[in-house]
Amino acid sequence: MEIDRRAFIASLGGPAAVALMDHEAKAEALEHYMEDKLDEMVAAQQPEKFPTVAEIEAQIETRPFRRGTGGVFTGQRGQNVKKLEPMPDKPTLFDYFNLRFAPANHVLQSATRAMKTGMSEEIILACLLHDCVLSLIKPDHGWWGAQLFEPYIPEKSAFAIRYHQTLRFYPDQEAGYEYPDQYYRIFGHDYTPPKYIEDTYKMLKNHKWYMEPRLVTVNDLYAFDPNAKVSIEPFTDIIGRHFKQPKEGLGYDNSSSAHMWRTLARPDNPL
Amino acid sequence: MRIATGVLVSLALAVAAAQAGKTQTVNGLQMTVGGVKLMERAGLRDCPPGTNTVNAVQRPGDQLSVVTVAFKVLPDFKPRPPGTMKRPVATAADGTAYNTSVQFVDVGSVPEYSCDFVYRVPSGTVLKTLQIEDAKFDLSALDK
Repeated sequence: MEIDRRAFIASLGGPAAVALMDHEAKAEALEHYMEDKLDEMVAAQQPEKFPTVAEIEAQIETRPFRRGTGGVFTGQRGQNVKKLEPMPDKPTLFDYFNLRFAPANHVLQSATRAMKTGMSEEIILACLLHDCVLSLIKPDHGWWGAQLFEPYIPEKSAFAIRYHQTLRFYPDQEAGYEYPDQYYRIFGHDYTPPKYIEDTYKMLKNHKWYMEPRLVTVNDLYAFDPNAKVSIEPFTDIIGRHFKQPKEGLGYDNSSSAHMWRTLARPDNPL
Repeated sequence: MRIATGVLVSLALAVAAAQAGKTQTVNGLQMTVGGVKLMERAGLRDCPPGTNTVNAVQRPGDQLSVVTVAFKVLPDFKPRPPGTMKRPVATAADGTAYNTSVQFVDVGSVPEYSCDFVYRVPSGTVLKTLQIEDAKFDLSALDK
């Protein structure tokens, strides 16, 4: 079995931690590491049984909430929701990232990867924002997400956010996008997208900006590692250049999506 | 004249032999093709292996051909701007080119690593070559 030395050392807490271990402890740690890796390799070889659409539908009445509910409205893993920190009077995008979208690992990883693969700033911004609206609502998140950010970001970034949802269902080998196995799990292996998604895909295929949402999907694929260390700091300049932060604060500038920001700010309001 | 021709022929043969061989170096990045295997499910991790945990799944009529390549960053490796290194392209015996979803990210960040390049191809397809930048690898003996 091939051992990734760096990954092994990192798993033990880094070189400093390894230096404190005696030979026996190191040998034992290596043995455990190899056992874990072997388990992972065996698991990866097992054909996974994906649910059908009917099986997923059968789960609907087993939950006290609907799957489309935004993240701020439900507790983690069936637990009660927690009290949220209040937002500042004039909240910025950074405030929403810290207080409402957090931990936002997925979008931060996606944008980090977009940066590392040389994407344009509009695409990096789109990757950074593309799934933030899941805190508010999940179905049709591409359209909702674009609507939330549209008053503040470049047209191309909004286009990319709106249509990445559609392109996620359609592989594109040339662009390097593979249909994700996760979709077999969450939609069912026999799922076919509804007609409005198919129609949107047909429109996009011939659109001059097809690659904008496509590049979001290409970077979307690679961003589900809960252990990766990412932060919003590397994107400060891009946000500064491309995000029109309203001086009144997000939610109070009377824009077409101000009410959506206010809902995110106060999700406990009964009406 | 005859000597010059001989030298040229020798050079051409040497280049051809190197290209058919399993190890080649481009821009200080040494690459060795380890093999080709078929998998029902294959990880789409970046190269060097990054944070991705998403997999491709075999579908009826398709197969996932996975080409393993070992990389070694040599002292004369020069980093290039992000996104410069294109994804490797595999070509089948019938000349059809296939792209992979696996992408190069920070190729010089780790001194040595191994990557699996996943190609979704029609069932029964045999890959003939793999192109990484200017290096072309002959897969004929590896993909059976």
